Amino acid sequence: MIEVSPDFTAKVFAGCGLDRYTTASSALGEMFVAWSDCGVSAVRIVSDEQGFEAWYRERFERGCVPAVEIDPIATAARARLQGEDVEVPVDLRDCSPFEERVLRKAAEIARGNARPYRWVARELGAPAAMRAVGNALGRNPVPLLIPCHRIIRTDLTAGGYVFGTDAKRKLLETEGVDFGAIETVTRRGFRYVGCERGWFCLPTCGTVARRIDDPGYMGLRNAEEAHEHGLVPCHLCRPIAA
Amino acid sequence: MAAVACASVPDDADALLAVALAGDVERSFEHLVIAYRARIVNFVARMLHDDARAEDVAQDVFVRAYRALKTYPAERRAALRLRSWLYAIAHNLTRNAFRDAPPPSDSLEYEDGAPRAALIDDEPGPEHLVLRAEAWESIGDAIARLSAALRPAFVMRYVDDLSYEEIAESLDQPIGTVKASAHRGLLAVRAHLEKNDD
Repeated sequence: MIEVSPDFTAKVFAGCGLDRYTTASSALGEMFVAWSDCGVSAVRIVSDEQGFEAWYRERFERGCVPAVEIDPIATAARARLQGEDVEVPVDLRDCSPFEERVLRKAAEIARGNARPYRWVARELGAPAAMRAVGNALGRNPVPLLIPCHRIIRTDLTAGGYVFGTDAKRKLLETEGVDFGAIETVTRRGFRYVGCERGWFCLPTCGTVARRIDDPGYMGLRNAEEAHEHGLVPCHLCRPIAA
Repeated sequence: MAAVACASVPDDADALLAVALAGDVERSFEHLVIAYRARIVNFVARMLHDDARAEDVAQDVFVRAYRALKTYPAERRAALRLRSWLYAIAHNLTRNAFRDAPPPSDSLEYEDGAPRAALIDDEPGPEHLVLRAEAWESIGDAIARLSAALRPAFVMRYVDDLSYEEIAESLDQPIGTVKASAHRGLLAVRAHLEKNDD
């Protein structure tokens, strides 16, 4: 007697040109989570099923039906949306190569951090492509799983989001981003926060903005000031790219 | 015997599923896959004697079933006898692979279908041998040595517990023919098991 593989049904559905979806709890409430045999293909706030299915068919040119069974991909997605640190495969076949690069870069940004659009553009070697970066993030099919909410405006305010600016700010704050501290830094004209231990960061790198008045920390207006203090760019936030 | 191989799908569940498929193929299709995937994978594996390929071929069975369902009018979907219909698709997909394979060098039958090993008395019945879990490996070997003419009918009847009527539908053969094939397969498998027990 052969045991049937857990992804058997997903492969059958792939052959039929159909994906499946279920619901999952997240920091922003109930979500529709759709997936194919390649990974999670869409995350959207729960609305009426027919509307979601019509949107899915128009965007992905495949059908999507409510799942009867939950397989390993959907199980992993549910766990991630509830905050567990698990790997979730994502299906980005619908995205252009550039969009996929933008989204993979966004996926590198750790919880509790944020980076400006310009930072993403420079990291990808296309500093003039800020608008294209914004468009790619706006088309992110799997928000929350790929944390496009961690990309913010260059002035370090939240900026747009598929689920609204308020939701974006709430998510970032839940993850530990302190907008009050960041605004204090930028209002004082500082672009970076330096540490006497030898490095300087973006104000959105972890909790560094909160420490600007702590002993051993300092506000910096530009990279030249950092160099004058003998500081090197943080290897995590790579501030020069911003 | 079917309890050893796979849980069977009750006829009334099949009928309800057919009605659901008549209403909405896309939303009901996963129920069909869940109900039959284990049976079809294992049927394919026994037909091909190739566990590694069984899932790929079984997936193709369901994809073809889905495509067919999408073309059938609702009345035809509602009237489908799902079990024999799916086995027919599976049989058709495995038949070509079976036909292309070289004939087993150690076939259990002579060319006229008579078992090579000596027959023994009818009691205890070969079904009892089949029910013994420890004999399962030997049965797999025995099934692999059955010819293309006997293997489908034997597996459907004595492993997957289909009725002769369902087998006749699946194989598109008269009931008398499938009864004879299943029985001859049974005698050959039984003789093989008895020989191995010696």
